[in-house]
Amino acid sequence: MKKLFLSVAVGALMTSSALAQSANVPSNLEKLSGFKTTGVTEFTFIEQGGDYAEGIKKNLERITLPEGFKIELYAVVPDARHMAVGPQGIVTIVGTRKDKVWAVTDRNKDRVADEVKDFAPSLTFSIPNGPCFSKDGFLYIAEQNRVLLFPAAEFFYESPDVAAFNLVAQGDLIPADQESFNHTARVCKLGPDGKIYISLGQPFNVAPPENIEINTKLGIGGIIRMNTDGTGREVYTNGIRNSVGHDFHPTTGELWFTDNQVDGMGDDIPPGELNRQTAMGQHFGHPWFGGGDVRTNEYAGQDVPVEVVMPAVATAAHAADLGMTFYTGNQFPAKYKNAIFSAQHGSWNRTTPVGARVMVTTIDDEGNATMEPFAEGWIDENGEYLGRPVDIAQLRDGSILVSDDLAGAIYRISYGE
Amino acid sequence: MRAVFILGLGGLLLAGTAQAQQPVEAMAAAGKKIAGQCRTCHGIDGYAKIPIAPHIGGEPASYIIRQLTAFRDGTRTHEMMSVVAKMLTDQQIADVAAWYSSHSATATLTADASGAPELCAACHGVDGIAAVEDAPNLAGETNIYIDTQLKAFRLGKRKHEVMSAIAADLTDEQIRAFADWYGSVKLEIKMAD
Repeated sequence: MKKLFLSVAVGALMTSSALAQSANVPSNLEKLSGFKTTGVTEFTFIEQGGDYAEGIKKNLERITLPEGFKIELYAVVPDARHMAVGPQGIVTIVGTRKDKVWAVTDRNKDRVADEVKDFAPSLTFSIPNGPCFSKDGFLYIAEQNRVLLFPAAEFFYESPDVAAFNLVAQGDLIPADQESFNHTARVCKLGPDGKIYISLGQPFNVAPPENIEINTKLGIGGIIRMNTDGTGREVYTNGIRNSVGHDFHPTTGELWFTDNQVDGMGDDIPPGELNRQTAMGQHFGHPWFGGGDVRTNEYAGQDVPVEVVMPAVATAAHAADLGMTFYTGNQFPAKYKNAIFSAQHGSWNRTTPVGARVMVTTIDDEGNATMEPFAEGWIDENGEYLGRPVDIAQLRDGSILVSDDLAGAIYRISYGE
Repeated sequence: MRAVFILGLGGLLLAGTAQAQQPVEAMAAAGKKIAGQCRTCHGIDGYAKIPIAPHIGGEPASYIIRQLTAFRDGTRTHEMMSVVAKMLTDQQIADVAAWYSSHSATATLTADASGAPELCAACHGVDGIAAVEDAPNLAGETNIYIDTQLKAFRLGKRKHEVMSAIAADLTDEQIRAFADWYGSVKLEIKMAD
């Protein structure tokens, strides 16, 4: 059994031998890169039933959806952030803004997870928010300032010792003096070109002038891409404030992404953004624009030195559009084919909270995008959050998962079951 | 406990006579309303709802006042807190500090006390309940929050006469180990009646 794993992974790594040669790897990563054991044998398991799960199920009774859809508790997952469904459908990997990555398994395929345990428990993670899978089963985890690569993760994850390598070594994603806690929840996805695309939020409310040069050069406040052996890094997108969700249109291959906009300008401006990028190097307006066509106070009246792409959808101000996925399944009605399902985390300083819902965006033949609420009800009558959706992922059966980092849960939305 | 923070508050408020004449209970009641702006991240009881926010329930009022004032004046910066604090008056800061400090924080170790970092424990306590007036509680904070703050002190992004010097020579590994210790402590916050 173990031999099989090794041959799978070694075979995969022959194509990218540079990965194993990075210097200064932490000791356990060094061991895992050499297929050695670390001595860590214990997983942390999360209880799935009980009062806590019952409380979440009760809250879900309040959630409204279009006719024919239903939402159910899929798994209890503390601090659940962005999700990556394994290409074989075996495991769903879930990131957090803390130090854990969770592996969620539905063993009996009754569409409710049976087991939630920590992934690669011997490794020390820092804000491992963004997992993504390649089609051939390589798992990438984008952290605050590192990207790790796990070959054949859907097999290895059953053991505490998972083969692991640096894609981007600690400190090489951004300079250490640019690190922050907020706005460093990275998201990654594999593009149709086979490259990995990683969002890099910039740490300020409005990026100060002295940071524009480094941000532009490194793709901070942008999206970078690179080959899956870590070479060929380039800045694909500029002028983002803090994007925490992106995906590629299933037919055009274009990159679409959400962006969180400037705070402190009032309850109703600026709008949030859903953006469509049609070419490499496009600029989306930050810091000259605070969201949509609203100019920031800090740069008011100044000439904008770049050509700016306006959002495809100007979304509700402060609703915090985060994770998104294009729907390619067969379970939902035809109007949802190639639509975007996205999560609004909910506002943090608006007088009356807005967001905390799942949105759906349909795109017509001319490329016009229309966004509307799909699942809502996580803000109660007192303005208190019962849950805060973060990301959407699609299961192989065509149902979708919704993560919630306040409740610490993943929900499943299905149609016609 | 309460006596301690009233003393601290009294000392700080000599400059602001309007606040000094009000009973803490009235300030806390006013502060509870202001805390509506804080609760999405810090919780209404001061037990944080998101990892990037620290727990502030049961924190000394003087610490909360100093930090909010620093955010407002720009001597400490954070892209969310700088926005929030800009809107607050001295009275509102004193009130919201009174609200959050009126709760009680209790810490329970989940590991043997001998593992506590000596360098930190004299001020922040073995269990992360601060032993001196000037220091914040660290019990149960997300390890990455503590890690971030120590690195900010090391880089000079955040300044404090004691912490800047302590953090200056720490390695990334030491910082993470200290953060992991306090992050592992179980924190409970009991709301004031």
